[in-house]
Amino acid sequence: MAFPHRPDAPELPDFSMLKRLARDQLIYLLEQLPGKKDLFIEADLMSPLDRIANVSILKQHEVDKLYKVESKPALSSSEQLCFLVRPRIKNMRYIASLVNADKLAGRIRKYKVIFSPQKFYACEMVLEEEGIYGDVSCDEWAFSLLPLDMDLLSMELPEFFRDYFLEGDQRWINTVAQALHLLSTLYGPFPNCYGIGRCAKMSYELWRKLEEEEDSEAKGRRPEIGHIFLLDRDMDFVTALCSQVVYEGLVDDTFRIKCGSVDFGPEVTSCDKSLKVLLNAEDKVFSEIRNEHFSNVFGFLSQKARNLQAQYDRRRGMDIKQMKNFVSQELKGLKQEHRLLSLHIGACESIMKKKTKQDFQELIKTEHALLEGFNIRESTNYIEEHIDRQVSPIESLRLMCLLSITENGLIPKDYRSLKTQYMQSYGPEHLLTFSNLRRAGLLTEQAPGDALTAVESKVSKLVTDKAAGKITDAFSSLAKRSNFRAISKKLNLIPRVDGEYDLKVPRDMAYVFSGAYVPLSCRIIEQVLERRSWQGLEEVVRLLNCGEFAFTDMAKEDNKASSESLRLILVVFLGGCTFSEISALRFLGREKGYRFLFLTTAVTNSARLMEAMSEVRA
Amino acid sequence: MDCYTANWNPLGDSAFYRKYELYSMDWDLKEELRDCLVAAAPYGGPIALLRNPWRKEKTASVRPILEIYSASGMPLASLLWKSGPVVSLGWSAEEELLCVQEDGAVLVYGLHGDFRRHFSMGNEVLQNRVLDARIFHTEFGSGVAILTGAHRFTLSANVGDLKLRRMPEVPGLQSAPSCWTTLCQDRVAHILLAVGPDLYLLDHGACSAVTPPGLPPGVSSFLQMAVSFTYRHLALFTDTGYIWMGTASLKEKLCEFNCNIRAPPKQMVWCSRPRSKERAVVVAWERRLMVVGDAPESIQFVLDEDSYLVPELDGVRIFSRSTHEFLHEVPVASEEIFKIASMAPGALLLEAQKEYEKESQKADEYLREIQELGQLTQAVQQCIEAAGHEHRPDMQKSLLRAASFGKCFLDRFPPDSFVHMCQDLRVLNAVRDYHIGIPLTYSQYKQLTIQVLLDRLVLRRLYPLAIQICEYLRLPEVQGVSRILAHWACYKVQQKDVSDEDVARAINQKLGDTPGVSYSDIAARAYGCGRTELAIKLLEYEPRSGEQVPLLLKMKRSKLALSKAIESGDTDLVFTVLLHLKNELNRGDFFMTLRNQPMALSLYRQFCKHQELETLKDLYNQDDNHQELGSFHIRASYAAEERIEGRVAALQTAADAFYKAKNEFAAKATEDQMRLLRLQRRLEDELGGQFLDLSLHDTVTTLILGGHNKRAEQLARDFRIPDKRLWWLKLTALADLEDWEELEKFSKSKKSPIGYLPFVEICMKQHNKYEAKKYASRVGPEQKVKALLLLGDVAQAADVAIEHRNEAELSLVLSHCTGATDGATADKIQRARAQAQKK
Repeated sequence: MAFPHRPDAPELPDFSMLKRLARDQLIYLLEQLPGKKDLFIEADLMSPLDRIANVSILKQHEVDKLYKVESKPALSSSEQLCFLVRPRIKNMRYIASLVNADKLAGRIRKYKVIFSPQKFYACEMVLEEEGIYGDVSCDEWAFSLLPLDMDLLSMELPEFFRDYFLEGDQRWINTVAQALHLLSTLYGPFPNCYGIGRCAKMSYELWRKLEEEEDSEAKGRRPEIGHIFLLDRDMDFVTALCSQVVYEGLVDDTFRIKCGSVDFGPEVTSCDKSLKVLLNAEDKVFSEIRNEHFSNVFGFLSQKARNLQAQYDRRRGMDIKQMKNFVSQELKGLKQEHRLLSLHIGACESIMKKKTKQDFQELIKTEHALLEGFNIRESTNYIEEHIDRQVSPIESLRLMCLLSITENGLIPKDYRSLKTQYMQSYGPEHLLTFSNLRRAGLLTEQAPGDALTAVESKVSKLVTDKAAGKITDAFSSLAKRSNFRAISKKLNLIPRVDGEYDLKVPRDMAYVFSGAYVPLSCRIIEQVLERRSWQGLEEVVRLLNCGEFAFTDMAKEDNKASSESLRLILVVFLGGCTFSEISALRFLGREKGYRFLFLTTAVTNSARLMEAMSEVRA
Repeated sequence: MDCYTANWNPLGDSAFYRKYELYSMDWDLKEELRDCLVAAAPYGGPIALLRNPWRKEKTASVRPILEIYSASGMPLASLLWKSGPVVSLGWSAEEELLCVQEDGAVLVYGLHGDFRRHFSMGNEVLQNRVLDARIFHTEFGSGVAILTGAHRFTLSANVGDLKLRRMPEVPGLQSAPSCWTTLCQDRVAHILLAVGPDLYLLDHGACSAVTPPGLPPGVSSFLQMAVSFTYRHLALFTDTGYIWMGTASLKEKLCEFNCNIRAPPKQMVWCSRPRSKERAVVVAWERRLMVVGDAPESIQFVLDEDSYLVPELDGVRIFSRSTHEFLHEVPVASEEIFKIASMAPGALLLEAQKEYEKESQKADEYLREIQELGQLTQAVQQCIEAAGHEHRPDMQKSLLRAASFGKCFLDRFPPDSFVHMCQDLRVLNAVRDYHIGIPLTYSQYKQLTIQVLLDRLVLRRLYPLAIQICEYLRLPEVQGVSRILAHWACYKVQQKDVSDEDVARAINQKLGDTPGVSYSDIAARAYGCGRTELAIKLLEYEPRSGEQVPLLLKMKRSKLALSKAIESGDTDLVFTVLLHLKNELNRGDFFMTLRNQPMALSLYRQFCKHQELETLKDLYNQDDNHQELGSFHIRASYAAEERIEGRVAALQTAADAFYKAKNEFAAKATEDQMRLLRLQRRLEDELGGQFLDLSLHDTVTTLILGGHNKRAEQLARDFRIPDKRLWWLKLTALADLEDWEELEKFSKSKKSPIGYLPFVEICMKQHNKYEAKKYASRVGPEQKVKALLLLGDVAQAADVAIEHRNEAELSLVLSHCTGATDGATADKIQRARAQAQKK
């Protein structure tokens, strides 16, 4: 039931090195400020920091008290203050207010700001404007890759998505390039590179530049990872917007997995306090169900429970010696498994309670209808009702976006009415949210697009194919269209199923969406890897509106890479990836004998995407 | 070969001194050397001459000429001296000519007579004029020491990092010291001066009288003093013709000599070799040269012409109008080999090789002799070493040949020393050529290092030779060839007579993309010469766009810098340029520039959003971006404004902007929001409670929950809330209130636009099955099954579904059949299904 890997699957590279590296660097930075000091940590960095260095390590290096960077004035009495922050202007102002307050009080302390993963000139400038540039010392903690699991690296930069895809801010691209550079120094060069998307291309080029500037020392290294695939999130919003039904994704949608761990509330733990649980391959129960469709999970867990009971029961017939053995060796493991099992059963129950209701079925049905493109009117009505009933602002927004992308934009009437309804339900400030969504291409109006398509098809009949491509590009730059329907047809994203899709024995990656839809991002990766280039996918690339941003870079001498390494593929998601996509690719890997490794700017899901686009009243 | 040692002069028992010609000088001297200020740089450096204006009284209108020659007498530069009278000349360690003027100004010239910079030795010097000056070298660089007219000393130990030190006063000093010199001990420069029979040492804080040990009585004054190249030894020449030689600390006497010449010598310099025990001083008078050391006899030479001594690390260079000679102690290896009747292994090996060339059997005898003593390795080493100390290539060759011959009879003789010596000699012979004119000895070369030698070649603009040497020695490109090419390019850009295009092309052709060449450095040099256009052209070749930016900014090509910064992908760099631009341009131009650079624009916008909101507004205004402007004001209405009036005003501005942006939808929505805000305010005033900032839906709900149904209806009408929404809203609100009576009334008010299923659903949510049932009966047939299922009446739902013969409904009901209780129902459905299929 749990997916065993094929016996010939390649070994994963050791990512724990990254953790050690980050820890050593942090310790070095802390030692730069000798003596007792108080550490102020930005909230977003707390969880990642916890995975790298726990409190006792910090204490060992003379960190006295820990504070959270927040708007409240801090009451630290230490003579040395150290700030561990993301390079954000609001943090700079916080620090400045603190330092300036000290100055007013005539108090002299030492201040050190550690930026992670890098500092930005704008931040230094704000420090300068606030008049405290000379009072603080600045450092960088180049901690950009957090191994969340054996095959998953996260940059823990959720703001990447909004900064780049909405605001057009390219600051983080450098960070991505640095991270890729670090990976290639640690794990050897990547002989084959593929990518799609503007951001992927820029990151790739910047990364290449970094490699060139470096000495050629690393060039002789044997590559450990044979392929790297860079992908912009805006190539495939659809997948990210769908409700997740694979266990790990569902846990994320329901409870929010944060930095690889989840807080299970009292309703799951069946006691009165909540519990923080680390979710990764080390959790034996979880690792077996994480990639499963939710409908299988309960059956699996109950089977597991029965097995466990049987193992406990064995002790009945034991003599003293066997019992001693059992207690000393097996019992602990069983207890542990027992604990995890009860947690996951609790989580399942909680999810079931929420999801197996009528509403959820309807919701999934609507989503599938949208993906397949039938009963659009009905779906639109469903969404309208969803809004009218104030079910959930984020959910409503998600459905609107899904409708817009699959349909190449909403027809003007619906566009207006849905927006009006939405604002009546959830507040007028969402006028800004809609403006954001429109800018990001998530929620658009159809009007000019249809006219264009008509002209386009007429024109393209008159000229050659190549010119037609150009014309289409020109048109699509006028109104960025998702072309989801056409892509879906080209790549066969909606599997034709005769009879019921057997979710217990998945046939393809569509199982992560109950057999209704193969994730577009994963399908693109599959196709490119099969062809070892974009050749034959020109039409898809054109439909994705990124003709100039798809690239392949093959190594001239492939022989240096072992066949083992050539079956390791690092997929880089710029703007975040979902657990469903990870599960789908894990599945693909098992089918084809690959192992996929994931590097994402952050793990995301539909709710996070929508929240990033929403304007919330401050 | 017999006469090879003819120019060897023994001094005492243990040492020989030899003098040989380096070059015959064919410089065309206009003045006698004695009439000139002369400065020759050590390590075979250049010679500078300036007619000394104090020697010969000529009319001041004739300006003297400053001439610079290579050590072989090749003219390097000649320029008319237009500044004030010069007291002293000297070369710095970087081969820059320092000219100390009477007024204490020091003018610095390059090797080619190009003026570099000038600095002053301070006010005190300016007032009292310079009496005498010395340029000296320490491990930190080159220093200048000055004796002023007030008999005070001022010195700077490093002209590169000018820090003037005024030395303490010598008590009771009335006249200029008879002689003085700078010493360097413990990394600090001191001054030693002689006044009559007394010697004084001036250091940091004090002036102390010193007495050299073992000085014979009767000395009434010191005429000359000399300190050795390494500042270790000191020699004093007294008016009695006595020469005292000792350590520079004046603690120990090494030897003494009485030459019985009372005339003050013209020059006195040390002539010693590193690691040699011999101490010798060369003393020069008008026509006589004397080498004295720890021996009763001295070596004497006659000088035919005016000569000038240049102390070197391992000897003394002597040049005059016609020749340039080198005088040094014969090195041990050479002495062993060439000394008459020497039986040293090297000597025998040299002999053996000669016999071998003559095809004589004696070769074997000699060789056997060496081998019997087991000294062949030593012999080879001696020959290799001696080759290094020979000036004449033929001698070098014969020694190397002997070494190579000897090597044949040795197993495993490491080849490095031989190979390196061959390479070094090739390099040395190349630079000793009179066209180049750097007469370095092997020891000097090793002390100087190849890097410095290359720098000096570059300084002399001998780029091809420097590159050939790099290639010959296989130096890594970054240290070698590309560094030299970069220097060449920096020189090339100074050629003002060549057009920008040609220079840029020539440079690119030569440099290509050699690793380690920084085009931006070259461009910076071009800009330094005032060739901005050329600099820009050169920057084009710079592969790292990040490197181009700082210079472009400096050249005020900010817009170009901006696009380069964007190309580099480094947002920090872009930001730097932006701030630069912001200060440089007026606001309008700045915004226009941004407009054409979307990446920079979004970066700046992000910054403004957090730091300069007003600028953001201006930015949108400038672009006529009314859409964003509207959004901006909307945001302001939530964040910046507190009062209702302010918020409404902000919204009004936003609405106006939206109209301008032709976004009627947003404008209308904003106007609605203004109305709603005002209304909410009124509601709060009239009804109390919290209304502000609720959504329309929530406002109406709140009203219903508060029992203000009329108001709610009014609001719904005013804001044209669609029927469907209103029904949902009322339904939910009334159910929340558990006002079942009102709900029923409402349900009957007219036909429900949302059907009656929601009524069932909402009632069930409030766990009121009784009420739910009421509505279930009113649910339309197509939703009947769902309604029944909501009520939990599976059996009846099954019946309806079977009646409908609807497959979807059947499976829906089936999925609700749980456990034993609904077993019968499930069976029933299965049966119905089976039947349906049969048909």
